[in-house]
Amino acid sequence: MKNLQKTYEVTQKAERLFEVTIPQTQFWEAMIHISTQTEFNTLSQIACTDWIEEEHFLLIYILTNDARDKNLMLKVTLGREYESMPSAITLFPQAEVMERDLHEMYGIGFEGNDTLYDFVLEQWNDLPPLRREFDTLAFVHEHFAFKGGREDNKDVKVEQKRRREEAKKQKALEAEKEEAEKPKEPETDTEETQDKKPDTKEAEDGQ
Amino acid sequence: MQKGFVAYNNEQKSLEAETEGIKNSQTLIQKAMNWFSARSMFVVAYGTGCGAIEMPPVFTSRYDIERLGVVGVATPRQADIMIVSGYCSLKTLRRVIRTYEQMSEPKYVIALGSCTINGGMYWDSYNTIKKLEEYIGVDMYVAGCMPRPEALIEGFVKLQESIRNNTIQPGYIKYREDYAYYQANQEKLLGKEIQPVYEEDYAGMNLS
Repeated sequence: MKNLQKTYEVTQKAERLFEVTIPQTQFWEAMIHISTQTEFNTLSQIACTDWIEEEHFLLIYILTNDARDKNLMLKVTLGREYESMPSAITLFPQAEVMERDLHEMYGIGFEGNDTLYDFVLEQWNDLPPLRREFDTLAFVHEHFAFKGGREDNKDVKVEQKRRREEAKKQKALEAEKEEAEKPKEPETDTEETQDKKPDTKEAEDGQ
Repeated sequence: MQKGFVAYNNEQKSLEAETEGIKNSQTLIQKAMNWFSARSMFVVAYGTGCGAIEMPPVFTSRYDIERLGVVGVATPRQADIMIVSGYCSLKTLRRVIRTYEQMSEPKYVIALGSCTINGGMYWDSYNTIKKLEEYIGVDMYVAGCMPRPEALIEGFVKLQESIRNNTIQPGYIKYREDYAYYQANQEKLLGKEIQPVYEEDYAGMNLS
């Protein structure tokens, strides 16, 4: 941890989570430094976010230490078109599959990875499906046909809101009814409690 | 005279019945075949999607479907029934079609879960098929997300009844007769090469 803080600005995101943001040109250097000089010596995941408005991908290499109690997020930004990352295979062999997955879902190139062919999607000829410009619904309606019965399909979130509001209204109505009925009930309750209490009974008998 | 007439009538009737029996001997054999095959169902051990987790309790001691004449087998060539259990992605569909075509007739398909009927909760997914019946012949749908093992057993029993009474046209006959329709649907979705590509096929290629 100290080695890391000497060379990079480390921000602590949570008790066990640390973050380092580096420019793309320093990526390879940083990976070598982190994997050899610091305690974070295992690559557990490569996450990717597509920021289409800012025209870049945000790649997050998540590294773990031996005790598996600390995580480091290494954040790198990468242009959306005509740019590629150096592959991390030589440092972490498990990166092969992760990079292959990212190549398939986002179309990111990794220099030095020889396995960037079909992974989960076989013979896929369209845009990589997790890029934001890929219109999933249009693709679905182009390639698949539906059975009848979905015409009166409602938007789930709108319907959920409507139902919650209805439930609230009903609860309020019930509460009002209960309040209206309440004044009768307490009298009977008090009578019963008075009857049940032996002391008061004795007192009444005595009187 | 009347007696003879009656006797003649009865004879005629019995004769007609015999000729009918000879004419319909094919269906008699078919009936016997149906009766036998309804009680000997061999299910190929193949699961897609989340419904595969409902199958082990059905086949093991908890629900024990062997009492109804349903047994699991290892390979599609020995099987009569395939359960497509849940969502079916494009990659899986290639394997499903291949498995289905390897099975010998008579063969039946049980589609388990809402995903195989109309997409289910994956209706807006780019990668899962919506209607299974467009790509292979389907005999029985079991709706639900996920259906309980009891529902699957009910599906088996209903399928057995319909095989025994010959009340439905089996999916494999539709598949054989309307093969052009199914093939067109498969090719529209999967391209000309429907068969799956395995990793060894990539070995010779230089793709990087």
